[in-house]
Amino acid sequence: MKVDIQSLGTFNQLAHEGAEQATAAMSQMTGIAADVEVTKISLVGREDIGEELVGDDFVGVHFGFEGELSGETVLIFDRDGSETIIESLVPGGSEDESMARSSVQEIGNIMMSGFIDGWADYLETTIDHTPPDYIEGTGTEVLPEPPEGSDKQQVFVFKSQIEWTDEAVSFYIYMLPNYQPMAEMMTEHADTENDVIPIDKLEVFNQMTLKGTEKAAENVTMMTGIETEAEVSQINFAKIEDVPKQIGNDVFVGTVVQFTGIPSGYLVVLFDETSAKNVAEALMPTEPDGEEITDQHKAAIEELGNIMTSGFVDGWANVLQTSVEHTPPRLVHDMGRAIMDPLAAQVGQFQEHAFIIDSEMKTEDVEFSASIHALPNENELREALDELLVERADETEADVEEIFYG
Amino acid sequence: MKVYDGQSDTESQTEPRRIKVGIAEYKITSGEAVLTTSGLGSCLGVAIYDLDAGVAGLVHVMLPSAEEMNDGNAAKFADAGIEVMVEAMEAEGADRSAMEAKVAGGSDMLDFSENGSGIGVRNIETVRETLSEFGIPLAEEDVGGDHGRSVRLEARTGDFVIKSANKESVTL
Repeated sequence: MKVDIQSLGTFNQLAHEGAEQATAAMSQMTGIAADVEVTKISLVGREDIGEELVGDDFVGVHFGFEGELSGETVLIFDRDGSETIIESLVPGGSEDESMARSSVQEIGNIMMSGFIDGWADYLETTIDHTPPDYIEGTGTEVLPEPPEGSDKQQVFVFKSQIEWTDEAVSFYIYMLPNYQPMAEMMTEHADTENDVIPIDKLEVFNQMTLKGTEKAAENVTMMTGIETEAEVSQINFAKIEDVPKQIGNDVFVGTVVQFTGIPSGYLVVLFDETSAKNVAEALMPTEPDGEEITDQHKAAIEELGNIMTSGFVDGWANVLQTSVEHTPPRLVHDMGRAIMDPLAAQVGQFQEHAFIIDSEMKTEDVEFSASIHALPNENELREALDELLVERADETEADVEEIFYG
Repeated sequence: MKVYDGQSDTESQTEPRRIKVGIAEYKITSGEAVLTTSGLGSCLGVAIYDLDAGVAGLVHVMLPSAEEMNDGNAAKFADAGIEVMVEAMEAEGADRSAMEAKVAGGSDMLDFSENGSGIGVRNIETVRETLSEFGIPLAEEDVGGDHGRSVRLEARTGDFVIKSANKESVTL
């Protein structure tokens, strides 16, 4: 099955407009101003969905839908945000649990009906949805349970993040279509003459990114003695102007390289400031005084960024059987979005959408997490995928084990 | 296009309303609002205001010129973005001859281009050219360098406050 860039763009736009309609419905009912920050399509392991929710409490609604597209969708508010919404609908309502639930259900229903109808209209089909169920939970618990036996399965998810104008409160819409009908529909909408990407190869590419991240994590462990594991790896597809928004607006420390070969692009390794300090100090003979990030910290991060980049890029090059070269790392210490923005702009001179390949690594020993973001040139990524396992093109299932170890 | 009148639903609220401007977006206001945009790297925040008419706008542009691209979103580009925003401001009662502009961003951080000038520099050049074509004076600027910026435009005064990760904020 194949999908083209144009139809990925269209589906992304559809999800974005749906999220905007849902947000407008909420603003109209509650008077609370909010903006859809990001909409993206992700190809991700089923069990890894919702990694951005970790640690927070959510309430919301869940629907099943069926028709030409089938699957599940959820709309979730963080709990504090939901209280503000409930109060604006029914003053005093958040004190009364059943009132609070029914308010969330009601507003969720109105918001999501618009979202689903938008899809049905575009696809010129009928999509039925079940009545909304009230859901609550911490982190990814709030999302529907993965079906049994789906641990290794990769799925498409449409994610929108909506932020309130005046507060740091977010809500999220996730649409989890069943893989098969979604893939068929994308294939149907693909202009097969043009810009086509085979979906199964995209999955292999995702696996390969995970291997690259594992290699990078091994390098961190080797160098710092901190046991580090690769966590999540996903391919996201978004409008180029949404690329910087993938990263929070907090300050990060990290490295950026430009890589050349097929594909070419940019690779960013980012640590939040606490992680940067912790991991850098693991490399230093003595702990420096104070809370500041010193030049010594930065030098350590630069070195780490370098070996992480090499590990990651080697992982790619091995599978693609090409050589991928990269520039020496440039150290960055700035607002996350400001780091990504020049890279998005450079890629954006030639393309309207971008694939962003994201991985994360974590450790349990100390407070430490790092993320790797690759922003490849779209045409070249397509070329690389075309070249990937050409001799296996007649096989329907790509065997990752064989590709990596065969 | 969205126009905000800056009037809040609750009259007791004294803080001016905050309006977020995303990347490749512009917003205008004819009230007492504060327009903000964050995470400018090589992107530019272009603030234009007519204090007499009480109309102000902020556009967050990413690339120099719409002519090089086949892309429908004018606000992504320095030239086309300024043009659509100025027209929208005029429709709200602003007068081009009374407008002034302030600009921030256009850092050359992470510019890997080996020859020619980077996007940040070209963005700044295009903004200067476009403003001069429109006869809008560029009152002040905080551009270039190797750091990111976040900005806020106070519509009532034209004050343009610039924050960076590792520096004190400055007001233009």
